[in-house]
Amino acid sequence: MMGLPLAFAQPLVLIGLIALPALWWLLRLIPPRPRRISFPPTRMLFDIVPKEETPARTPWWLTLLRLTLAALLILAAAGPLWNPPIATTQAKVPMALLIDDGWSAAASWDARVRTIDDLISRAESDGRGVALVPLSETTRDISLETPGAARVRAHQIVPKPHSLARGDVLPAIKRFLAATPTAELIWLSDGVDVTQSPEFVAGLAGMTEGRTVTVITGGLPSPRALTAAENAASALAVKVLRLSPDGSDAGVVRAFDLKGLSLGDTPFKFASGQTETEAQFDLPVELRNDITRLEIVSEHSSGSVQLLDKRWRRRTVGIMTGSTADTAQPLLASNYYLSRALNPFADVRIAEKSSPVDAVTRFIEQGVPMMILADVGNVSGEARDKLLRWVETGGVLVRFAGPRLASGGDDLVPVKLRRGGRILGGSLSWDKPQQLASFSREGPFVGMPVPEDVTVTRQVLAEPEAGLGDRTWAALADGTPLVTAVKRGKGVIVLFHVTADARWSNLPLSGVFVDMLKRLVGLAGLVQQETTPQQEASREFLPPTRILNGFGAFGPPPVYARPVAANYTGRAKADNPPGFYGPPEGLLAVNTLAPTDRLKPLDLAPLKANIEPYRVGEPTDLRGPLFVIGLLLLVIDGLVVFWLSGGLTRLMPRRASAAVVLFALGTLALAALPTPSFADQASDQFAAKATVETHLAYVITGDAEVDAVSKAGLTGLTLFLGQRTALEAGEPMGLDIAKDELSFFPLIYWPVAPGAPKPTAAALARIDAYMKQGGTVLFDTRDAVMAPPGPGGENRSPGMVALRGILSSLDIPELEPIPRDHVLAKTFYLLRDFPGRFNSGQLWVEALQTDKGEEEDETKRPARGGDGVSSIIITSNDLAGAWAQRPDGQPMLPLSPGEPRQREFAFRAGVNIVMYTLTGNYKADQVHVPALIERLGQ
Amino acid sequence: MADDATQQHDRGAVTRAVGEGRSLAASMPRLILEARRIAASVIHGLHGRRRAGTGENFWQYRRFVSGEAATRVDWRRSARDDHLYVREQEWEAAHTIWIWPDRSVSMAFSSPLMRETKLDRALILALALAEVLVEGGERVGIPGLLRPTSSRNIVEKIAQAIVHDTSTRHSLPPAFAPSPLAEVIVLSDLWSPIAEVRQMIAQLSASGASGHVVQVVDPAEETFPYGGRVEFVEPEGAGTVTAGRAEMWRGDYQARVERHRNEIREETDHLGWSFIVHRTDKAAADLLLKLHGQLGIGRDIGIGRRTPKQSEQRT
Repeated sequence: MMGLPLAFAQPLVLIGLIALPALWWLLRLIPPRPRRISFPPTRMLFDIVPKEETPARTPWWLTLLRLTLAALLILAAAGPLWNPPIATTQAKVPMALLIDDGWSAAASWDARVRTIDDLISRAESDGRGVALVPLSETTRDISLETPGAARVRAHQIVPKPHSLARGDVLPAIKRFLAATPTAELIWLSDGVDVTQSPEFVAGLAGMTEGRTVTVITGGLPSPRALTAAENAASALAVKVLRLSPDGSDAGVVRAFDLKGLSLGDTPFKFASGQTETEAQFDLPVELRNDITRLEIVSEHSSGSVQLLDKRWRRRTVGIMTGSTADTAQPLLASNYYLSRALNPFADVRIAEKSSPVDAVTRFIEQGVPMMILADVGNVSGEARDKLLRWVETGGVLVRFAGPRLASGGDDLVPVKLRRGGRILGGSLSWDKPQQLASFSREGPFVGMPVPEDVTVTRQVLAEPEAGLGDRTWAALADGTPLVTAVKRGKGVIVLFHVTADARWSNLPLSGVFVDMLKRLVGLAGLVQQETTPQQEASREFLPPTRILNGFGAFGPPPVYARPVAANYTGRAKADNPPGFYGPPEGLLAVNTLAPTDRLKPLDLAPLKANIEPYRVGEPTDLRGPLFVIGLLLLVIDGLVVFWLSGGLTRLMPRRASAAVVLFALGTLALAALPTPSFADQASDQFAAKATVETHLAYVITGDAEVDAVSKAGLTGLTLFLGQRTALEAGEPMGLDIAKDELSFFPLIYWPVAPGAPKPTAAALARIDAYMKQGGTVLFDTRDAVMAPPGPGGENRSPGMVALRGILSSLDIPELEPIPRDHVLAKTFYLLRDFPGRFNSGQLWVEALQTDKGEEEDETKRPARGGDGVSSIIITSNDLAGAWAQRPDGQPMLPLSPGEPRQREFAFRAGVNIVMYTLTGNYKADQVHVPALIERLGQ
Repeated sequence: MADDATQQHDRGAVTRAVGEGRSLAASMPRLILEARRIAASVIHGLHGRRRAGTGENFWQYRRFVSGEAATRVDWRRSARDDHLYVREQEWEAAHTIWIWPDRSVSMAFSSPLMRETKLDRALILALALAEVLVEGGERVGIPGLLRPTSSRNIVEKIAQAIVHDTSTRHSLPPAFAPSPLAEVIVLSDLWSPIAEVRQMIAQLSASGASGHVVQVVDPAEETFPYGGRVEFVEPEGAGTVTAGRAEMWRGDYQARVERHRNEIREETDHLGWSFIVHRTDKAAADLLLKLHGQLGIGRDIGIGRRTPKQSEQRT
């Protein structure tokens, strides 16, 4: 059907394609919408219009696009199917599947099984019975089965290794058709006609008159086969066959030995239109003789395998010599020369220590194709008759002259010989040793180069007679024959007129000798097919040993494999499947195809059947892809129309589009920027602000009221510092101890709120580091008034409890209530206590190391400083509350006892603390002692 | 013509005009700045033109040269001395310069590659020119909008007048009669029918005023870079034209534009006016210099060339 495996579910819809020209006309008529452009000099264009007659048309490619779209839609609506299932015409009638299951179906068996599966599945869905008829099973009766059972059985069918004899099934089919006359026949054929198929087709046609028969054939690679392997003198040639000239043209034949090792590849190539070609293995003869199996690579069928047995291997040559004394000096014996010359290409059997009669008899029984008698004078009696018969049935008898032959012999020589030898170049001879001069054109030695170094000193001479020249295969320079031969029956008798050793000539020492023997062995190959009746009689039947299955793989012999006659040369049959038969040392190869078999296509014409190809792939519904392509085309069409009518520029105002693009790009760029840059920027700003001036800092607690008081208090203190001291600090800064850098600030005021959450571990670690690096934290619990009464009561105030919670996580040095002589009390003002809003609280600082030795000097030293600045100062007097001022300069909060100078002293305490943190302990220096004492005295 | 246009005004046009007025007002500061910048660069290169000539302001007394008309003697000055003196006025050749920036809808056009619309360019030119001229002592007016004035803040005045102008914006200046010594500068795209242009030039030059016609065009209006199927819409509502393949129209269009210009040029040459084509992708300062030069040359040459005529007329 049309060559393409394409079918339509509703072919009628395809009529819609006729409408395409009309559509084309319509599309050409309706132009796309024009772009609208506001163009001030349009008035100029008014004058042009009459001149320019440009019919507005749809561009041809747009028309084509739309027509394609319409065509696609119509095609898709028609329901196209790629690889449509095989059409089975009648529903609800039984279906008989005739299955070719010979070797020629094996290479593509999977596809065939898929087709069978497909057919059975549809039979199942239609509720039809199925009869499976493997054409190799001639004995089984055909019966209908349920599709399920048929499917199981179909999978059990394996291709048979032999060629089908389809005609044998005809009776069974006839019976089946008689029983179920409505059955539909489907023949899954391999299309190969090897044996009796013409009869089968004719018979089938007769039976199925008026019935619909579907033959499924083709669509699969045509089978290829090997046959007629021939171990010629120069190469091992094998014929490669194929069914039809349209298959693959080239391939590779691979050779294996008996153990399955690859020995070599050779490519083959079919000439176009040819169904037969030849592959040649140009291997050394030793390797060639080891080849037992040839196969076409990647063609898995028994037909593509050619098995070779001994008949293809090197020829056996029997050697017997007449001189028994030779063995005393084995390296000079003719046996030695002959076996050395023959060994590379022939199986040499030497008859030792036996009479010529016995040896000849044994060799003939062994079926050697070639025998060499070296200087055997006379073979007589029964042995001579046997030998003659053997020669007449194809044996090659090669004789070498010698003293015994020269002294008179039998008649198994090509020419009549003179008695006595001829001596050349001897002391009693006029003649010089003669050289080998020529090879006869008729003989097997034709074409061989004539050596110049071969000389003959003695020879036996032929009686000159008519026909001597015809029988001469090689001659000496004086014209006397060196090698003569005569045909006897199918065989040939060859005589070398010299010995096989180096006594009479140096021929056995030269390379020509080997070549001559090789050609003689080749002669033996040509005639070796025939066997003697004795041989046939002695080994009549050989049991199967290793049998090929249909796919060309070796396996154990199946039960139905019968022994085969030892001289079997035909093609394999069902009873004698291809493979090796016989004992391992004498294997007989039975091949699928006989050497004369050729693959011929089946002639299905008489059947008048529907012929369908095999389906290689699954059936594919093409509607989906077609609709998708159509949709894509529709989108493209839409885009084209959009573009034709102005595209994006119509969507947005001109400037706006650029702005939108810029904005989008900008947004993208911003989004692409790493966000930490903002944080970096913020912290940079913070650092810049904090470091330009000295700032007092307070910790933001999160309690707005507390933070406001802290800020106002520190602002007040900053003002006070500016008024009284040289420190003109910047505006106080609130710190988030978890995030802000602390190291910019010499003093951090930390109001501790009772309910404040404890800072995180990371924040506390930062505080710890800050204090370790020289910073001072002024903790103010601001609750001196709330402290319970009694000694140590202030340490149990709620603020102190909260503070303790904070400090428990810090590495805090030992603390002490500020001693009177602490430098903190003297850094700017001389202070006694450090009041804030309250004056009952105690100020705690880091404990100073008191030196025992200096205890008596304590009174002399008015100030103790230690080495560093106390990293922690704790008070509960709410210093910031006392410092806090409203913007108008009035104090923000009332003081607790309300003494007149309490606020002043609170400020002074603040000044001292700030100065302490800024200047350190230099006030404790000894230099100032006298002045300080003096001032203290006042 | 104006009445027809007013009658044709529909509501949409009004709103559009209001919107355009707003956007014009919004862009005015930028235009003023730009105009000042350009004007400053031009003024920088100007020479003073203070010299004696016909004018209204006193310039100097000079000795009477015999042969002059006795009526020119300033007797009051001469009476104080033994010599006769002639009172000279400062030279005032062009008393008044009328600048007409076309603010019609069609001027709001700019092709996609251009940054400025033609209107922007025309206004910049008008403002800069006014600045330069007032700096040089001339009086500048806008027909129908602003009476001639030599006020220092002429730019602001013009800008305010333009922004607050609610009347219909016509392409060509209204018919008025400039004084014979006045000069008229028309900045317009001049895509109006040639008959209207001719009528305008004829009317303005009827009183003997000289003038300069500047056609401000967008590059796209010259190169016609359109292709494919395009419907061209006249922005002032004159109609539409659909070109099947616009690229095929290019040659004809350019020829037509060239013919239009030749017709205008013919008219201006005939009257001694100048005709300049200015593309908005060229620098505004170039045109300003050129125009200023034309003013000066026009004056000198105009006087030289026109004097016989005028004397003929006078005599």
